[in-house]
Amino acid sequence: MPVAASAIYFLNLRGDVLINRLYRDDVGGNMVDAFRTHIMQTKEMGTCPVRQIGGCSFLYMRISNVYIVIVVSSNANAASSFKFVVEAVNLFKSYFGGNFDEDAIRNNFVLIYELLDEIMDFGYPQNLSPEILKLYITQEGIRSPFSSKASEKPVPNATLQVTGAVGWRREGLHYKKNEVFLDIVESVNLLMSSKGSVLRCDVTGKILMKCFLSGMPDLKLGLNDKIGLEKESQIKARPTRSGKTIELDDVTFHQCVNLTRFNSEKTVSFVPPDGEFELMKYRITEGVNLPFRVLPTIKELGRTRLEVNVNVKSSYGAKMFALGVVVKVPVPKQTAKTSFQVTTGKAKYNASIDCLVWKIRKFPGQTEATMNAEVELISTMGEKKAVTRPPIQMEFQVPMFTASGLRVRFLKVWEKSGYNTVEWVRYITKAGSYEIRC
Amino acid sequence: MAPPVSAPKSASPSQPSGKSEVTDLKLQLRQLAGSRAPGADDAKRDLFKRVISCMTVGIDVSPAFSEMVMCSATSDVVLKKMCYLYVGNYARCNPDLALLTINFLQKDCHDQDPTIRGLALRSLCSLRVQNLVEYLVAPLAAGLKDHSSYVRTVAAIGVLKLYHISATMCHDSDFPAALKALMLSDPDAQVVANCLYSLLEIWTQEVANSEEAAREIETLYGKSIIYYLLNRIKDFSEWAQCLVLDLVSKYIPADNNEIFDIMNLLEDRLQHANGAVVLATINVFLHLTMSMTDVHQQVYERIKAPLLTLVGAGSPEQSYAVLCHLHLLVMRAPMLFSSDYKHFYCQFSDPSYVKKLKLEMLTAIANESNTYEIVTELCEYAGNVDVPIARESIRAVGKIALQQYDVNAIVDRLLQFLEMEKDYVTAETLVLVKDLLRKYPQWSHDCIAVVGNISSKSIQEPKAKAALIWMLGEYSQDMMDAPYVLESLVENWEEEHSPEVRLHLLTAVMKCFFKRAPETQKALGAALAAGLADNHQDVHDRALFYYRLLQYDVTVAERVVNPPKQAVSVFADTQSSEIKDRIFDEFNSLSVVYQKPSYLFTDKEHRGPFEFSEDLSNLAIGGDSGDDVIHSAQRYEENDKDLLLSTSDKEENGGPTHNGSSTYSAPSDVNSSLTGLVASSTSQPATFAIDDLLGLGVPDAPALPPPPALSLNAKPVLDPGTFQKKWGQLTVSSSQESTLSIQGVASLTAPQSLIKHMQNNSIQCIASGGQPPNYKFFFFAQKEGSSSFFLVECIVNTASAKAQIKIKADDVSASDAFASLFQSALSNFGSS
Repeated sequence: MPVAASAIYFLNLRGDVLINRLYRDDVGGNMVDAFRTHIMQTKEMGTCPVRQIGGCSFLYMRISNVYIVIVVSSNANAASSFKFVVEAVNLFKSYFGGNFDEDAIRNNFVLIYELLDEIMDFGYPQNLSPEILKLYITQEGIRSPFSSKASEKPVPNATLQVTGAVGWRREGLHYKKNEVFLDIVESVNLLMSSKGSVLRCDVTGKILMKCFLSGMPDLKLGLNDKIGLEKESQIKARPTRSGKTIELDDVTFHQCVNLTRFNSEKTVSFVPPDGEFELMKYRITEGVNLPFRVLPTIKELGRTRLEVNVNVKSSYGAKMFALGVVVKVPVPKQTAKTSFQVTTGKAKYNASIDCLVWKIRKFPGQTEATMNAEVELISTMGEKKAVTRPPIQMEFQVPMFTASGLRVRFLKVWEKSGYNTVEWVRYITKAGSYEIRC
Repeated sequence: MAPPVSAPKSASPSQPSGKSEVTDLKLQLRQLAGSRAPGADDAKRDLFKRVISCMTVGIDVSPAFSEMVMCSATSDVVLKKMCYLYVGNYARCNPDLALLTINFLQKDCHDQDPTIRGLALRSLCSLRVQNLVEYLVAPLAAGLKDHSSYVRTVAAIGVLKLYHISATMCHDSDFPAALKALMLSDPDAQVVANCLYSLLEIWTQEVANSEEAAREIETLYGKSIIYYLLNRIKDFSEWAQCLVLDLVSKYIPADNNEIFDIMNLLEDRLQHANGAVVLATINVFLHLTMSMTDVHQQVYERIKAPLLTLVGAGSPEQSYAVLCHLHLLVMRAPMLFSSDYKHFYCQFSDPSYVKKLKLEMLTAIANESNTYEIVTELCEYAGNVDVPIARESIRAVGKIALQQYDVNAIVDRLLQFLEMEKDYVTAETLVLVKDLLRKYPQWSHDCIAVVGNISSKSIQEPKAKAALIWMLGEYSQDMMDAPYVLESLVENWEEEHSPEVRLHLLTAVMKCFFKRAPETQKALGAALAAGLADNHQDVHDRALFYYRLLQYDVTVAERVVNPPKQAVSVFADTQSSEIKDRIFDEFNSLSVVYQKPSYLFTDKEHRGPFEFSEDLSNLAIGGDSGDDVIHSAQRYEENDKDLLLSTSDKEENGGPTHNGSSTYSAPSDVNSSLTGLVASSTSQPATFAIDDLLGLGVPDAPALPPPPALSLNAKPVLDPGTFQKKWGQLTVSSSQESTLSIQGVASLTAPQSLIKHMQNNSIQCIASGGQPPNYKFFFFAQKEGSSSFFLVECIVNTASAKAQIKIKADDVSASDAFASLFQSALSNFGSS
């Protein structure tokens, strides 16, 4: 059974109702009170995002400073409910222009009610595609009488598009300059033990696309992944060119991608939606190039002094560089005084997060940097020494580098009018949860 | 706070003040109602916005209903939508006024713009007013035939709404048949999906008492419809795909070829960006292959990667929902995941609910090859800042040890935990060491050496204290100072608040007594005396039982308390395999998240849709035997009926069985020093005590005439001291469990609300307390015109909406009447 939500609530952090939409009668109007008193005001708020009170289940998630709560009275599908909320929030974001928070909701509550009516009917999810909804729910909450008259005339394509077969693209688009932007964004997740061995490591990547193309173009994307290349060499009876191939553990695609063709020919072919969208997501666990190696040594000198030494080595190409490198070294709460020596960047003690924060604006490849810090602690009575500390965390962005080694080999665009297109490809690797135990 | 309103008039009050605000709005609306002046629409918009914002924050704006309707004659779509929203919200409480709206809604249903038509139809169906149903039929029938697919999608769901208002009207108009025809012929996928939603819900509601419904359901799950939907699956929206996949998972293919065909067709769905679609596909694969063991295993291999991706992507809530499913699969087939253990390592930033699941999975998949790594990782978490997770991880280490992998090293690590000298780590470890010793008595020497160094004073948690006391009793022969430690514990009997600890203390002293009698005799006497004077029923009973046992025959007592024990081979699983299978049948639903089958948490009325489907899937399972292999891992546990049930109550299980056979009138062999002590300390009449011991505290009153209607004294007086005394003296005359209404649970925001409610029913509260979800109350009431009191202990759990009631009464004969009175008062709570 898909969602069949009985009600959706939007609450702020204090529990005030911002929006409530009851889809069904099987839950009472005071369900939100139950949520407030039995979940929000108890310690259990953070313990589980699915809770049951009385006969009803509450599925809730926090997005910026808003709680979105779905109430169901039957055995609903949790994964689909959460996905629905996420998609709905994306939709709202595309209407408000980026931000989704309490203020945005207050300023657009009529619009949200309108949208909630369209995206869910009697608890069943309907169309959530921003492309289509924008055709008949316009962004301007307030329009002049003139334009409201115009809307009396039916938009010829609107309702057809609402449910049409190529739901993600309108017909009759035209651009003077036909451009495609591809962004390959990878985030590296790492968990390294204090001895420097990799406990777990994976890369989650996504390919973001921005299309400004006329007509109904057919696109084909080639990557240097192993299966695709092998398949290609089979079909064309041509040996694979040497060079690095990578193995994708798992791939998911935007609904525009023809999955049948991907499975038979291993090519990614699609008719793209207009504007910005996420073409594919992938995950890789083998052969990850870690952009940074971190070697921490923390020595305790007596009860009140710590000596922290962190060495960071960059392993990407010498011509590349990382931006916004931040290394956070947790220190005990009772830290009193710190002094630093760094080879590059700036380091300071941030008391609100109990960390030594070392920032390096630009970190060239194949180099290393060191921070030496001395930490003095307030001596406390009876306090046992901390057995383990939270891990060191790292943030960074490395442009033009992919930790997985993924490369775009080609992007072909076919359209019946045969126009020329300009393609732009960018790569960037970011830190996901990059943790080194110490 | 209300959403800020742009109308200049209302710029200042951000908090609508209720009544006056509503009257103000009414007035302004009335002024604007007939106005056709330019700009009137904008003014109306502002007003409507204010009305809606009041509605949102919960102010009743229904008094403005007629004014709103008057203003609704407009061509502005946004105004229309706001008005429809308002009308939909309040029509039910103003059924007469709702009639006013019918006119313009019907008119809008014939608008030339399909968007307006759809909107009007949706609002018309959402009025939910019984006596307006007749106006629905014609627009719905027209809507189903509308040339715009948008209107048809609305109409398809509209039929379902009509069904919920008036099922007969829906059937009389033959809408289900029309939906079915539409579903099979409509070119638009969303219309098809909505027809399917409606049909499924309508027929599953009726399946229990209508043969026609059963037949219709069968057709829906039949080959032709399933194939029709499968062939169009790519046309459907992602949500509708979930619906179709759900339907397919219930389908029973004729042969294996069909199964493979379906799986081949659906394989690409595993690459869909929407996690819900992926999970639904996985559900189909798992259920289709139930009969083919080896393919089923391959399915596990195939779905592993997409599942792990889903876990890593998206918000913590989303990955939690997926992890729950992965958890279920891991528990079913831990072997298949044993090489993926690194995926279940916790990240520092994971929320604790995610960490908890990961820990359980790590525990489940531990085997010879990965135990070392897993335990090393778990030990990292033991020093974690997040205390509950640190505890869980210690427990996980213990569980792995109980699975018999690498016990040696694990015991060492556990003992290291004890040296960390953190309260909670020590506490958890003690409990574990106790369980380990029950399974591996051969480790007792190593463990006892370390445990002996732990001071019982530094341990606060009852469970840990109980574990330590158990070890003191069990291994008193190896621990030099065991009798003296126990003695000092007995001396502090009064300060020991947990009955569990006191129970364990009694037993431990007994055990110690049989091993080192001279040293323990004093402690035993003191313990029995303290136990007999104890307020807690169980402690008192156990003390008395031991006392009489000793009186009867010391050797028998030794056999009961200290029997030769075998090492426990397997600890009982808390969940039966039948339940686990049921949860698996409900894959991709909340059952998996709650880890219990849906019938345990959904109301009866909502169970309809699932009961039927379960039958189907059971059929699928019953027809073959291939799946046995998969289940065998869980089933073997069931056969071990002789195991101990839980870790907290153990050898005492033997006690009660002896109760029945031994006679209590033979105090021949007396431990003289004890008799004196005890006789002086116990003042209760012996018969009463024996009744107590045998659990006969409630005198059966089978022949009682139905008690006259009980009336209660409206203002009884009872001071807490007397209450406490009475509570201690009286036995429980009635113990029941009752269910609270949903409204009741919602109103129970603080104990006061219930106390007030009960007061209105002449039942007074004397003490209350607790934190959500558990509240505890002590009530009392007095029979009108008599001095007999009723005392009630009521424990309310709002999460399960259950209340446990224990009633003690001066006048036992009236207890039943009072119990029903109390129950009805409780169940009325919230509705008044």
